[in-house]
Amino acid sequence: MTSTTSAKRIDENNKNDRTNRAGIKGWLNPIIYGWERVSYWFQRLTGIFLLVYFIGHVYETSSLVSGPDAWAAMLEMTQTVGGHLFLILVIGASTFHTINGIRLIFTQSGQGLGKPGRPDYPYDPTSVNNKQRSGLWIAFILAAVAMLYGANVLFSGE
Amino acid sequence: MKIHYITGVCALFVVAIHILMRLIMPFNMSLEFENVILNYKNIFYALLLESILVLIAIHGFNGLRVILLEIRQTLIWERAVNILVIIAMIGIIAYGTRTIIIANGFSVG
Repeated sequence: MTSTTSAKRIDENNKNDRTNRAGIKGWLNPIIYGWERVSYWFQRLTGIFLLVYFIGHVYETSSLVSGPDAWAAMLEMTQTVGGHLFLILVIGASTFHTINGIRLIFTQSGQGLGKPGRPDYPYDPTSVNNKQRSGLWIAFILAAVAMLYGANVLFSGE
Repeated sequence: MKIHYITGVCALFVVAIHILMRLIMPFNMSLEFENVILNYKNIFYALLLESILVLIAIHGFNGLRVILLEIRQTLIWERAVNILVIIAMIGIIAYGTRTIIIANGFSVG
């Protein structure tokens, strides 16, 4: 085999070796990867959900410029049980996204990752430790607390 | 990712003020047309709303860009995602700014 053919083959192999070939199915698979994967796609799903809400909120508030009647009509649509439940979901999603986002900023700056260790069986990475997991649980707990508070405000109107 | 983290942390503070403004009086009353317009007529609050609009638009659309680039990596895809995301970002900022400017100039009563 000439060196040109060999180089071509290596190049072809590199082209086929797409590390993300599982695509969106791999992205969504919560099994076998543990809570860290749940955190990974919850961060993304809440992010997309909040972006959709943000666009809707900008559109919703634009009814202000059409006067009090248009504003009242738009509010009437949101001041329903379904509208309140949707807002409670927004509160939960934004709280989780914020707390988990802060955890990720610390993680990316190297905080709370632990010291690198020798790879012994069962090869648990030191970075996936209790500090990281407790950060995730705090995000879930605070999201639940914020949702309860939001539900109280929305359904009591106070 | 620096822009993503900076906009995220800044948005946390301005959105907290935005939510607190809805809670300083009974929630339903705070959403009455006159109250909302009075909020918009306060120049500091209008600037706060504008900063929320810009920060969340950058953070949100950059996040969407990151997700889309994680799913697929080709030159055409990357360029198309970048261009579409920037257009959407500018569009939403322009639309929201229009609301803030018009509501700021409204007369109440």
